[in-house]
Amino acid sequence: MGRETSLFTAREGMLDIDIERFQGPLDLLLHLIRTQDIDIFDIPIATITEQFLQTVKGIGPGQLDHAGEFLEMAASLVRIKAQMLLPRHGDEEDEDPRAELVRRLLEYEQIREITDRMSVAETERARRFSKGWVPPRPRAPLAEAELETTWDEVLEAALRVELPVTSDRGHRVTLRAVAMQDKVKLILETLQAHERIEFSKLLRELDRPEARMHGVMTLLASLELTRRRSMYMRQVAHFSELWLYRRDEEPDEIESEVSA
Amino acid sequence: MNASQIVEAILFASDAPLKADEIARADESLDEDRVELALAELQRAYDESERAFELVEVAEGWQLLTRAEFAPYLERFDTIPRPSRLSGPALETLAIIAYRQPIGRVEVEYIRGVGSSGVVRSLQDRGLIDVVGRGEGLGRPLLYGTTSRFLEHFGFASLDDLPRPEDLPVVLRDNPPLGESDDDATAFVDPNQLSLDEVLGVQEARKAVTGDAGSAS
Repeated sequence: MGRETSLFTAREGMLDIDIERFQGPLDLLLHLIRTQDIDIFDIPIATITEQFLQTVKGIGPGQLDHAGEFLEMAASLVRIKAQMLLPRHGDEEDEDPRAELVRRLLEYEQIREITDRMSVAETERARRFSKGWVPPRPRAPLAEAELETTWDEVLEAALRVELPVTSDRGHRVTLRAVAMQDKVKLILETLQAHERIEFSKLLRELDRPEARMHGVMTLLASLELTRRRSMYMRQVAHFSELWLYRRDEEPDEIESEVSA
Repeated sequence: MNASQIVEAILFASDAPLKADEIARADESLDEDRVELALAELQRAYDESERAFELVEVAEGWQLLTRAEFAPYLERFDTIPRPSRLSGPALETLAIIAYRQPIGRVEVEYIRGVGSSGVVRSLQDRGLIDVVGRGEGLGRPLLYGTTSRFLEHFGFASLDDLPRPEDLPVVLRDNPPLGESDDDATAFVDPNQLSLDEVLGVQEARKAVTGDAGSAS
């Protein structure tokens, strides 16, 4: 015991470094076991847990990324320690609580061994040069965007949509650009005059090829104005007339009915 | 023009290892056997004439590489690209994937004892590993395997060149331990948790599985 204590005092100064130096909790555990000549098949779990906990205490606030993994292992160690105290039923099938941990440690140790050898192979390979080494083209990084779509994005996408002008090929047809702003203005002005207006009225005189574009832009303008809370829309039933309503200061009682 | 010369020209012009059957496509007069004969001939010729380069079997193909002893001279030149080295965690993760492929990220994390999604992703970005399939079970996790670029990076002719477990001091268990017991005291990774990586990675995986999954063997 005395030896362990002194060993540990000596290491206390480098507790902060430990977390940086070790790949993870298994690495740290292995280090504690191997540097103290502990029989891995008979780990003194109480001592090791104590040492592990002390080391984990050294984790600084800047290393919280790693802290979770070390704390998790600390919890496992404490649990194993507790299980060791419980009387076992002498059943052959009753596994030593340390068994899985030992298995993992051995496996990890082997991986470390392989890693070292692969590192040597890598060094050896790096000493030979091919005729021009082309770095791998990096993949397009997976976007870390949030999985949600905002109204602005919908509008932006909608505004980018171009209608195919199939029949007009070869002609110089100038499609009149339909600006949503125009539709916004039209709706707002209409709603200033009327408390409500049928959606179709806003399109009524449009039976030309561009009508669809006007319809789309009018709908988009309506949605945009709804979003801005300048107006709201109501529809009594599917496919029935869509009504655009002026939105007054306190539209409370109607709001609950708004379904559009 | 003999077969050796044609093979030599192709090897000279290529910046990646070529398989014998790939080289054979260069001319009707060539087939895989003839190419292999030519390769052996070239190999001997380079050895005998003490060329600064040699013909090396890498990643199941053949490539002209300078001999290792010339490294100090070559390293002085900025114009000669040097492959970048892998970090410790990257090597460790790669070792696990190489020995256990196909393997899911969760299993890698269990063996390493630390979260590994970042490392796995950067290994994938570097083309050293790729998705080779999907596992059974919840979330059908992506399974990774090593690529031919992995073999190239370490100068392995094939996966058989990896250090053999029986040569190592301790014995590696054959099967990954996941799912073995219900109340695993040491498990700290929730295998039911589908990460954002996996959600976003689904398309990539589909591409990899339906299309040419690449060089993973």
